[in-house]
Amino acid sequence: MTTVKPILLAEDNPRDAELALAAMEEHHIADKVVVCHDGAEVLDYLYCRGAFKSRQCGNPVVVFLDLKMPKVDGIEVLRTIKSDANLKPIPVVMLTSSREERDLAQSYALGANAYVVKPVEFQQFISAVKELGIFWGVINEPPPEGN
Amino acid sequence: MESATQDRPSTSPPAVPPLPEPVQPAPGWLRLFGERAQRFTAWMSQWSIEQRVLAGFGLVFLGIIAISIMSYRNTAVVVKNSRLDTSSHELVQLLSSIEEALIAAESGHRRYLVTGDESYLKPYRALMEQMPEFSRYLEALADPSGQRERITEMERLIQKQLEIETNAIHQRSTQGADAVRHLALPGVAKRELDDVHRLIADLESAEQQATRARVLKSAGTTRNTIALLALGAVLQLVLLGSVYFLIHHDITNRRRVAAELRRQGELLQAANKELEAFSYSVSHDLRAPLRHIDGYAALLSKSAAETLNDKAKRYLETISASAKQMGQLIDDLLVFSRMGRQEMLRSTVNLNQLVKTVIHDLRLDLQGKTISWTIGSLPDVPGDPAMLRQVFMNLLTNAVKFTATRAKPRIEIGATRDTAGEVTIFVRDNGVGFDMQYVNKLFGVFQRLHRNDEFEGTGIGLANVRRIIHRHGGRTWAEGALDQGATFYLSLPVKRTSS
Repeated sequence: MTTVKPILLAEDNPRDAELALAAMEEHHIADKVVVCHDGAEVLDYLYCRGAFKSRQCGNPVVVFLDLKMPKVDGIEVLRTIKSDANLKPIPVVMLTSSREERDLAQSYALGANAYVVKPVEFQQFISAVKELGIFWGVINEPPPEGN
Repeated sequence: MESATQDRPSTSPPAVPPLPEPVQPAPGWLRLFGERAQRFTAWMSQWSIEQRVLAGFGLVFLGIIAISIMSYRNTAVVVKNSRLDTSSHELVQLLSSIEEALIAAESGHRRYLVTGDESYLKPYRALMEQMPEFSRYLEALADPSGQRERITEMERLIQKQLEIETNAIHQRSTQGADAVRHLALPGVAKRELDDVHRLIADLESAEQQATRARVLKSAGTTRNTIALLALGAVLQLVLLGSVYFLIHHDITNRRRVAAELRRQGELLQAANKELEAFSYSVSHDLRAPLRHIDGYAALLSKSAAETLNDKAKRYLETISASAKQMGQLIDDLLVFSRMGRQEMLRSTVNLNQLVKTVIHDLRLDLQGKTISWTIGSLPDVPGDPAMLRQVFMNLLTNAVKFTATRAKPRIEIGATRDTAGEVTIFVRDNGVGFDMQYVNKLFGVFQRLHRNDEFEGTGIGLANVRRIIHRHGGRTWAEGALDQGATFYLSLPVKRTSS
């Protein structure tokens, strides 16, 4: 709890990212958020490579993952995270526009920890992102670091 | 077939349009025949293809039967003739044996009369012995030959001759040679013997004539039979050919239909895939801009709260409201599309429980309004629980929505079982109702009977109800009157065994 672990937000749409950040800002957790714009960047971040080579390594407290992203899509990222022993403990929340049963089923089958459909209404979106941020970033006890 | 010219008055020619140049008029009978043929084809064209095929087969079949009967008769005639030929031949042979024996007996008899040597009587005695046998043969052959009269006469004459000869022998043995001398030279019963010869000759020539006639007739009949058999063979070939044609036609048709069905199925599958991709894309991509519109409108109204006047604030609210409405529309359409495509689960749904949970969920939206619910006993029905939940969610949401303006809203849910295999469930409210002339529009997609400022809605709820109930094999209908409430019915098929 003492070390500030980042929240990783994977969102290809800059407007969605901005809105999400705006929502988190209201609750002063925006500074903990790292935004990635596609799946490849997410994986680079998690494996501390490419643009994130120099970052201080360590898992984020939670990953908010959009399904539809360029290069590597959300499902692929989820599959990689959940099949890597080091990354597996990271809570992954699917944050997507899709309400399709197929996506829901596939995400849970791959080990997603939650699935949230982005509400169209901004107030709802704000409260959803806020609650998610607070729950996963503050309330939820993250897995122990190490091994 | 009746004659084409028999009962048609030739005085009434059909009205013929004037021709550009005079032509030789067709003879009356030809014209009438043409008319007849036209009427016959017109009459035939009223028949279905099956009836025509059946009629054709019936005709050919009757023809084959007729030919078979005629051929059988012809063959029977030929067989009978050959039997008659045999007996005729036997008769002729018998007659010549009798004649021979008679001649031998007579000449021996004459010698005996002259010489008194009894050994000359041997042929005579033999004839006397053979005579009963000859008679028996003649008797047997008399009837088939049709010459009984002549044969009887011949037998009578032979008997008479033999009697005379017997008398002469007796005379010779008792009174000596002189007593019979006058008889011996010309021969006794000469007249009878001549008559017998003549009769035999007549009999023989009659038999020959009859045989010749029979041969001619047999030959004719045989030719006839061959022709008939040839015709029968042709008919059978026609029959076989038509059967082959029909079967071939049928198989070709079936193959074509099967191929067509397969092609349609593939097209349908492709279209379904496309639709799925489309609705996925709608679900994912169309929502994002709406979210942005609402989001940025909200951010704008927040960050510029002090500088905006009331008008500008109202504009921003309208932008948000429109975005939300479109979001709702997309959601409803996606549900509608999903209800049509989604695989259906088959389980038993406890409607009592289902309605209870739906009402419980609705309570949050009631905002303290009190509604008097009347819930009858509902049956268990086979179906998809999620889909049926959607049905009751839509129906009850509607009922709540359209009774909102009532001082004492009442909603009743009940079931009737009118036939053995079906239950009918109704949802009745005392809301604003509807005009029955628009009843057909109620269950259509995007069909609304109220303005949006009266009652909110996307016009998809009832379309969804109908789609789901149809997929369950049931029906939906509604009754209502303006300002007097509405009743929505749905029927669902149930298994007979459930009580």
